[in-house]
Amino acid sequence: MTPVVALREATKIYRLGKVDVPALRGVGLAIEPGEFVAIMGPSGSGKSTLMNLLGCLDRPTSGTYLFGGHDVSQLSDDELAELRNRRIGFVFQTFNLLPRLSALKNVEMPMVYAGVSRAERLRRAQAALERVGLAHRASHAPPELSGGEQQRVAIARALVNTPSILLADEPTGNLDSRSGEEILAIVQELNAQDMTIAMVTHDRDIAEHSQRIIHLRDGRLVRDEMVPRPKQARQELIDLAVVSP
Amino acid sequence: MDLFESFSIAREALRANRLRTILTTLGVIIGVAAVIALVSVGQTVRTSVVGEFATLGPELLWVLPGKAREGSQFAREEGRLSLTFEDAEAVAKDADAVSGVSPILQTSIEVTSAGRRVTTTVVGTTPNIADVRGLSMQAGRFLSASDLVRRKRAAVLGPSLARRLYRTPANILGRRVIINGRAFDVVGLLRSEGQVLGLDLDDRLYIPVTTAQQLFRIDYASFIFVKAKDTASVPRALRETERILLRRHGEEDFTVLTQSQLLTSLDAILRILTLALTSIAAISLVVGGIGIMNIMLVSVTERTREIGIRKAIGARRLHILTQFLIEAVVISLVGGLMGMLVGLALSWGISTSLFNSAPSLGSTAPIVLLAFGFSAAVGVVFGVYPAWRAAQLHPVEALRYE
Ligand SMILES: Nc1ncnc2c1ncn2[C@@H]1O[C@H](COP(=O)(O)OP(=O)(O)O)[C@@H](O)[C@H]1O
Ligand SMILES: [Mg+2]
Repeated sequence: MTPVVALREATKIYRLGKVDVPALRGVGLAIEPGEFVAIMGPSGSGKSTLMNLLGCLDRPTSGTYLFGGHDVSQLSDDELAELRNRRIGFVFQTFNLLPRLSALKNVEMPMVYAGVSRAERLRRAQAALERVGLAHRASHAPPELSGGEQQRVAIARALVNTPSILLADEPTGNLDSRSGEEILAIVQELNAQDMTIAMVTHDRDIAEHSQRIIHLRDGRLVRDEMVPRPKQARQELIDLAVVSP
Repeated sequence: MDLFESFSIAREALRANRLRTILTTLGVIIGVAAVIALVSVGQTVRTSVVGEFATLGPELLWVLPGKAREGSQFAREEGRLSLTFEDAEAVAKDADAVSGVSPILQTSIEVTSAGRRVTTTVVGTTPNIADVRGLSMQAGRFLSASDLVRRKRAAVLGPSLARRLYRTPANILGRRVIINGRAFDVVGLLRSEGQVLGLDLDDRLYIPVTTAQQLFRIDYASFIFVKAKDTASVPRALRETERILLRRHGEEDFTVLTQSQLLTSLDAILRILTLALTSIAAISLVVGGIGIMNIMLVSVTERTREIGIRKAIGARRLHILTQFLIEAVVISLVGGLMGMLVGLALSWGISTSLFNSAPSLGSTAPIVLLAFGFSAAVGVVFGVYPAWRAAQLHPVEALRYE
């Protein structure tokens, strides 16, 4: 089967004035359809840089990147934007919602750029909010929502154009453990419905909800391990409720 | 991406910074209002001034001292003392197409009567000026041939001057008016002539030209009125007058103007004046545009993160560009619309109070369209650079922006 994404010998060097900062020093990585991969590593090890490459927000300094088997290193800025719009769902640590727009409008936004009709947009945005359990909060603006709710809106937005892969950069980093667990539960449900997922975390406990953990250190891939029995967020939530009702 | 969505995004953004939006819009409002008001007032001035001049009579010719410079009847070389009363007599005698000639010796001077002291225009002339200029009497008589021959101290007053000098302006015959220390008898009161170029033609006083020569010790004419027999003989009257004066002077140190030449030059001058005023107003519109550019640049910087988010979820460069461009155009169009209303109100107020004539719809419609189009163009021109800057932002850099 063709990997959803495949990096070969990818490097990323940032230029800070006259100094070169190598953030990735030759990373090879393939993620197969339906996989749920966690990317771990200490702060500054290049996790976000890797995610930005996978998400076509940035280009590698050298090496190749195949998205769905196609080399995307030669695509123009606008072609990359279209790829992000239709094939990639992105979830950030800081949610990155537009604060003045309602949850519904935020979820509609990727479809606006995809040229979807108004009626269709409304229908699909409502369905996506339903899927993350926030249909009743559709008209609220992000500042009126809790962190966990905001992240669920962000997930709905990421899913609304039915992407090939969901990329999440520390999606639980700004959340309390219960809200984080709820996000993990949603991610696991999506994965159970065959969504391919890559998620950055520096927390081993969170990483163990995935099927495979990739370890980064100083811009290099140092370990690639399988998780024999991933933790189940849904079960943990039930346990939490029993301990502290 | 649909335009409706772009407009609602722009509206949201403009609403979020209400005060800033209003102040920026104000810049455009002032610019557009100034352009519309000045152009339309300029047009009113032109039509009313040219109209006033036209009422002076199409058969009238002006003989002015000094030769006209190339291309302009108004920029004459110095030569103020070239016309004499004998010139006037010669034209009256020898020119066939001419029905009347009046030399004018005119000066601005203080006159007094019964303790009131006012500055007015004293016009020394011949009795036939009444026919040449079409003056008519309200009371008494005009200057007579015997006034002229005997250098009588007789004065005929315009109604405005009468009002300024006397408490009972209708009943002034036989009273005295002092000019340059000499007492003159008031023998007549003229009917009103109105205004030309904002000049009150009724605020003057006519005396025999012979008396004026003696009084001011001047032998020369300020200018000479020549009246053609009828409108059709104006060109012939012009040629004859020029030929006679050239023969007498030996050189062309005078200028003869017909009413239509005068009107054309006047119209040209007023047109240039209007254009100059409008250009100044247009500068204020450009300043308004720079205000838009400034605010849009601030807005792009402030919303760097928003731009990063939009790019991350798939906005292409054109999407970002249109979003910010529409914002700038909305400001300039709203400003243009409001400025148009303010400008029309202003021009209506100025025209009616100063010239007693409302600007016609036909003359304002093109200006309104022009100003509206211009303000939209201002939005595009000054909005394009900030919008382009926004569109060029790198998604990752934009997302990292705090
Ligand atoms: N835009 C940038 N410009 C310069 N250096 C950067 C930039 N982004 C990241 N870096 C550097 O690259 C390295 C990797 O950063 P990052 O991928 O954000 O690490 P992580 O997400 O694992 O904490 C760090 O040393 C960081 O300082
Ligand atoms: Mg990071």
